[in-house]
Amino acid sequence: MIRPEHDRLTQGTESDKNEKGRLKIYFGYAAGVGKTYAMLDDARELQKHGVDVVIGYIESHTRPETLQLLKELPVLPRKAEKYQNVELTEFDIDGALKRKPQLIIIDNLSHTNMPGARNKKRYQDVEELLNAGIDVVTSMSVQHLESLKDVVENITGIKVRDTVPDNIFEYADQIELVDIEPEELLFRLRTGKVFKEEQADKITQHYFTKENLRILRELAMRKAADRISHDNQKESHSSEKMSNSKLLVCISSSPTSAKSIRWASRMAESMHAPWVAVYIDKEESIFDREEQKKALQANMELAEQLGAEVVTLNGYDVAITISEYARLSGITNIVIGKSRNRKTIKNFFEMDLEDKLISLMPNIEVHIIPNSNILRYYKKPWKISFLNQSFSWRDSIITSVLLIGASGLSLFQKILNIEEHNVILIFILSVLIISRVTKGYFYGIFASIISVIMYNYIFAKPYFAFTPLRKENYITFLIMLLVALITSAVTIRAKTQAIYAVDRERRTEILYEINKKLLVTRGLENIVQLTNEYITKIFSRSAIIYTEDPDKGGAGSIMAVNEDIKYMDTDFERQVAHWVYVNQKRAGAGTDTFSQAVAFYMPVLSQGNVLGVIGLSCLNKNYLTQNNRSFLRMIASQVAMALERQRLSDEQRLILIQREKEKMRSNLLRAISHDLRTPLTSILGASSTILENSETIEKETQNKLLSNIKEESQWLIRMVENLLSVTRISEETSEVKKTPEAVEEIVAEAISRIRKRFKDSNINVQVPKELLFVPMDGILIEQVLINLIENGMKHSSENPTIDVVVKKDKDFAIFEVSDNGSGIKEENFSCLLESYVPNRKHSSDSSRGMGIGLSICMSIVKAHGGKMEFENKQGGGAVFRFTLPLDGEKNNVK
Amino acid sequence: MSNKLLILLIEDEVPIRNFMSAILNSKGYRVIAAGSGKEGLSMITSHCPDLILLDLGLPDIDGIEVVKKVRSWSGTPILVVSARGQEREKVEALDLGVDDYITKPFGTSELLARIRTALRHSNRTNGENLMEPKELRIGDLTIDYTKRLIKVKEKEVHLTPIEYKIMMILVKNLGKVLTYQYIINEIWGPYMEENQTLRVNMANIRRKIEENLAEPKYIITEVGVGYRMVDERVD
Repeated sequence: MIRPEHDRLTQGTESDKNEKGRLKIYFGYAAGVGKTYAMLDDARELQKHGVDVVIGYIESHTRPETLQLLKELPVLPRKAEKYQNVELTEFDIDGALKRKPQLIIIDNLSHTNMPGARNKKRYQDVEELLNAGIDVVTSMSVQHLESLKDVVENITGIKVRDTVPDNIFEYADQIELVDIEPEELLFRLRTGKVFKEEQADKITQHYFTKENLRILRELAMRKAADRISHDNQKESHSSEKMSNSKLLVCISSSPTSAKSIRWASRMAESMHAPWVAVYIDKEESIFDREEQKKALQANMELAEQLGAEVVTLNGYDVAITISEYARLSGITNIVIGKSRNRKTIKNFFEMDLEDKLISLMPNIEVHIIPNSNILRYYKKPWKISFLNQSFSWRDSIITSVLLIGASGLSLFQKILNIEEHNVILIFILSVLIISRVTKGYFYGIFASIISVIMYNYIFAKPYFAFTPLRKENYITFLIMLLVALITSAVTIRAKTQAIYAVDRERRTEILYEINKKLLVTRGLENIVQLTNEYITKIFSRSAIIYTEDPDKGGAGSIMAVNEDIKYMDTDFERQVAHWVYVNQKRAGAGTDTFSQAVAFYMPVLSQGNVLGVIGLSCLNKNYLTQNNRSFLRMIASQVAMALERQRLSDEQRLILIQREKEKMRSNLLRAISHDLRTPLTSILGASSTILENSETIEKETQNKLLSNIKEESQWLIRMVENLLSVTRISEETSEVKKTPEAVEEIVAEAISRIRKRFKDSNINVQVPKELLFVPMDGILIEQVLINLIENGMKHSSENPTIDVVVKKDKDFAIFEVSDNGSGIKEENFSCLLESYVPNRKHSSDSSRGMGIGLSICMSIVKAHGGKMEFENKQGGGAVFRFTLPLDGEKNNVK
Repeated sequence: MSNKLLILLIEDEVPIRNFMSAILNSKGYRVIAAGSGKEGLSMITSHCPDLILLDLGLPDIDGIEVVKKVRSWSGTPILVVSARGQEREKVEALDLGVDDYITKPFGTSELLARIRTALRHSNRTNGENLMEPKELRIGDLTIDYTKRLIKVKEKEVHLTPIEYKIMMILVKNLGKVLTYQYIINEIWGPYMEENQTLRVNMANIRRKIEENLAEPKYIITEVGVGYRMVDERVD
């Protein structure tokens, strides 16, 4: 019997907008609980019900039951690859995508792929499959959940290497908990059902203790239960994280930060709250070592992976910076990691970070995560900063000059026999100035040493001789040293702050500038061009921007700063960009996916839609820093807004055109159905009357009926001609084929046609003396003129006089048709040209069809790129006026 | 009976065929009708009509094809009946040697006038200009062939040589539509593609002979096709 959840899993629900595949995870607390068996069992069941099931990857098992199941299901061939001379088989992601089954079974979600594979981790493969619309059934154990990594490590003492980010787990449409009693699991282990026997002993001793298994089981069950309650909440609220709490976790380059990050992630998830990972960039971080930078990058990536927003702040005082940020962004909980402090004198005087935070923000909860495993704590010895400093001629000269100056001044003073203690002050002043104007600590300290020596040598008795240092000399030296250190520290702080401020300012300015420029930029190409220019300028790297799926022929717009662009325009790079486009994730150089690519690719997202992909060259492993990435992301979001706006306005325009067309068409249809029926009825009636009663009917009546028929048919013909003229307007572009026509010829033809019908009509025509060529579809404009003149005739019941005037005005030809009739009624003004029949009650008989006539005129003139307007004349009558562009060509020939 | 002129009507719409036959019969023409192009062609060979009325939209073969076939061996005047808006077809037919065209819907008087004109033209060419008149008068317009003079209301009008040539071509084909291309071929030769020059010349002629540009009395424009000189001779 098929279970209902399988139905859902394979068929998808209505909410599946993007036709993404659905993910089902068989979740257990340890290996051997029977996840694989359960998975295969269900798969077989589904296959029986006609679902296209394929086994993508199953770990080799020796269990006969499992092997039996495996035989019954089609298996996707594995990809064999050589790695370090060992032939390894791996799940074939491309094969699976090509095969495109309805449902694929992939064991062990936490698996790490071989180096060189497209994705580092198997869960990334799974994501790709889901994006391709393939349902995935997979399995994992609780210890592989990223956020539980520390917990599991603490309990079992075994380091878990392969982890799966929690969002995959949360994303899963179904979690099926596979559970057995720990005793039974242990029994299975002992009997070698899970691992081969020789392995079994080893593992059981370390990991599979009854105690461990119980705790793991509890964790697994709790996780599953959490998910259920989470789901329940999701259903009642919107899927947005609605909690009014917001977490902040402080991260640093210390590897122990990872623990805090995971804790915060678990916490945030259980509270359903958003969370932010904040890194405080202090000035000393300039002296950070390479591995520290890497550790920081790793921490940031971890936080991001777990769903945090990563923020870098600059500030000297960590506590103040954090409290400022927390206050501004509405943080309710702060998570900080803490190592046990060694007792130092400094600790004695200085408040701890957490104490400071609490005193700064009494309303915020502070969570302290102890770092149990004190690892190598990166000592940041002042030696590094001291030695790191490069030798500077400028600073050396300044130092020497100031010291010599100080000595000179002291000598001068001595000559004048002024008191000696001023000498010390002079030297202190010089040290202070030196510390202030030079870079780093070195020159200040150096100057204070020299000063003491000088003082000792020159100014202390006996003069010009070194004496053993006396007590007061020590104190002098100490004071000078302190002055030098404090001043240098202040200077350094001010300088770095200034650098950061400038840097921040620059970024803000650039963002503002981009934003401003994007706001006024119209057209996709221009937006892309502008973005490209800025990105290449800011990052000094070659950039490529795709606004369409590169796989579907979307060529990227490339902006090169150097020749590395030729590496970026390859098929492989396009494939990476395509992957980014489809999966809406970053990829390429410096990431886990397609890390062998030359460039780093980032999707431009707006409301879950990919609007484009930005690629930045990272040739020769010159990867983007976290900071640069977040800056790029900020730019990308600006670009996304601009692209979205562009897309919307394009769409709107299209809709408008469509609507216009639709309106015209429906107006016509409405008009036709109404207006054709009347004359046809009268023709039918009159003709059948004559036919049926030819004997009895009087000659006179017969003639009257016949002339009625004639009139009505003439009217019908005019109507049909009008309708036909509409078909000359191109469906696609709403434009007409223009050829230069002499205005006088068109007018003449129109008049002659009118004259044929209204024999003695009073029409005055004025055309320009000079021959005027106007690009137009002659037949259509003739139709417009005929319609307008007829309209004038109809509305001037007695003795109509029509004036037709054509003039040239700059780049336009103006056509004017005026009558001496009753004019246009006020209430009809607004809708006269818009839609057919201004006033149904009146027009249905008296002036039938002229509504169509006018609306057709309107669309014809519009299709020519002209304008049409109308007004009432003073002293009665209406004027209809339309203009046609001359296109600025030399249409006016003498 | 035998001196009645024979008109072949090729038209697939029965009602139109009926009423046209009725009119023509009543005006003293003999009418035979064909409902398709092929039938029409066979009737042309068997009956040798004096004039062919041809609808361009036929069910079996294109009217243009009929014109081509007929013109390959016969100069029988052909009058094409077409719908409005098919300028390209009209021009093609005219350039293939059709004598004139009439646009649906048309009045009976218009049809009869066109038929008369077409028949007269064929007579003139067949009758080898027996009686070439010395001058031609249309309304106030007088054309004196021998003096190569054109007068409006007895006042001489000065035309440039090209303008005079154009006038002569139009006059020679009085009442008949001449396509732009036809006139251009006659005057500038077949390698002139654009018709702007002709229009400018025509505009100049009009300014010299017409009273009101917007309501020309002598030279009528057939939009998208060509020009026609009205056939209202004053004898």
